[in-house]
Amino acid sequence: MRSLEPKKLLTLITAHAFKAIVIERLKTRGVGGYTLVDATGVGAFGVQSGALDSDSNVLIYVILSESRLNTLLKDFDDLMNRSYRVKVIVTDVMILPRKQPAADKQ
Amino acid sequence: MNTNVFLTLLDPVVLFFVLGLTAAFVRSNLEMPAQISKFISLYLLMAIGIKGGVALSVSGIQPQILMGLGIALLMAFLVPAYTYPILRLRTDGYNAAAVAATYGSVSAVTFIAAGQYLDNQGTPYGGYMAVALVVMEAPAVIMAVSLAAITRAKETKINKLSHDPDSSTSKTGHFSIKGVLHESFTDGAIVLLMGSLLIGYIVGTEGYAVMKPFTGDLFKGLLAFFLLEMGMLVGRRVREMRGIDPFFIAFALIIPVLNALVTLALARFSGLPDGDTVMLAVLAASASYIVVPAVVRAAIPEANPGIYFTMALAMTFPFNVIIGIPLYFHFLSIF
Repeated sequence: MRSLEPKKLLTLITAHAFKAIVIERLKTRGVGGYTLVDATGVGAFGVQSGALDSDSNVLIYVILSESRLNTLLKDFDDLMNRSYRVKVIVTDVMILPRKQPAADKQ
Repeated sequence: MNTNVFLTLLDPVVLFFVLGLTAAFVRSNLEMPAQISKFISLYLLMAIGIKGGVALSVSGIQPQILMGLGIALLMAFLVPAYTYPILRLRTDGYNAAAVAATYGSVSAVTFIAAGQYLDNQGTPYGGYMAVALVVMEAPAVIMAVSLAAITRAKETKINKLSHDPDSSTSKTGHFSIKGVLHESFTDGAIVLLMGSLLIGYIVGTEGYAVMKPFTGDLFKGLLAFFLLEMGMLVGRRVREMRGIDPFFIAFALIIPVLNALVTLALARFSGLPDGDTVMLAVLAASASYIVVPAVVRAAIPEANPGIYFTMALAMTFPFNVIIGIPLYFHFLSIF
């Protein structure tokens, strides 16, 4: 049986218009996978109905190591300094790793 | 020519729009799944594209078309050029640039509603108007991004001089003009519209006969259904408008009429037919609330979408659908 591995869950909430910019940052920092969900709700700029690209949000989930997370947090800090609105939420999580450690395989 | 402005209110398309507004105002739980409204918006673009392409294949490329497209392009640059200084009287460079881009660009749904209105009036318009819609999409955004870049450069210079000479958070490096052009012309709506126009042009009237049950016969019903959803969206936005500067409300209702009048004068002076003249006026009077706000939000993040998006969607769009289109049609008798 695999052992649980500590990781960080990065949850990003941003406008649909910023999706490409955010994903580009993830790719640049070597993030190989993420989960993207269309999101609706209410924020500082009113209702995000999801009916138009101009009033839709996205929710992006990324599971990653702490070291990679720290690099990404600097990137998002830079984006926020340039007035891009991104909600960045970090949670400690435990995951069952996809790859089994060599010693456990026997 | 029927110039009864109020007849337009009896069109089912407009009545469904009003129904959507009413549903939002009374806080009804009426709701349309987002994916369905996205599907219908794509359908409408495909339908007007193919219809325009077929019309172009019948009429051929006339010199008059170039004249019409020239006016469309001129207005796309002219509107942000004269609205930006007006907006700067009341707001900062970023918000002024974003609003100028929104009003310099166009609304495809307003264009479709105007087409429907002209059909009801028995006034034909050129198929190339769908090309004019595309031509008018990008120039205002390019101008706005350039104006915002100037504001940003000035601010960075002031910041560097006054507080933080070694700042690593430079306010440069946002969207380039190339990036904006790419975003504008590869936007799904534009690709579908231009592609459908080309397909319509290639297949002509014979090919259109096969498509007509889908892109023609269902058009008005689906447009009414879409405008029901738009009415609900507008109604929800209107409810959130409390606190918006009355200057922006006045701008959103007066500038479209001014833009339409300038365009009507240019089109009349150029000898364009009635239908083309009204369509160009409607395009110039409309404000983008889908493509441009999405591009501007990424390119000018300092601007407040609560201003430019709300103005375009909650004020100018309903004004044009209910009052503007018949009013611009009525203006034909003045010019």
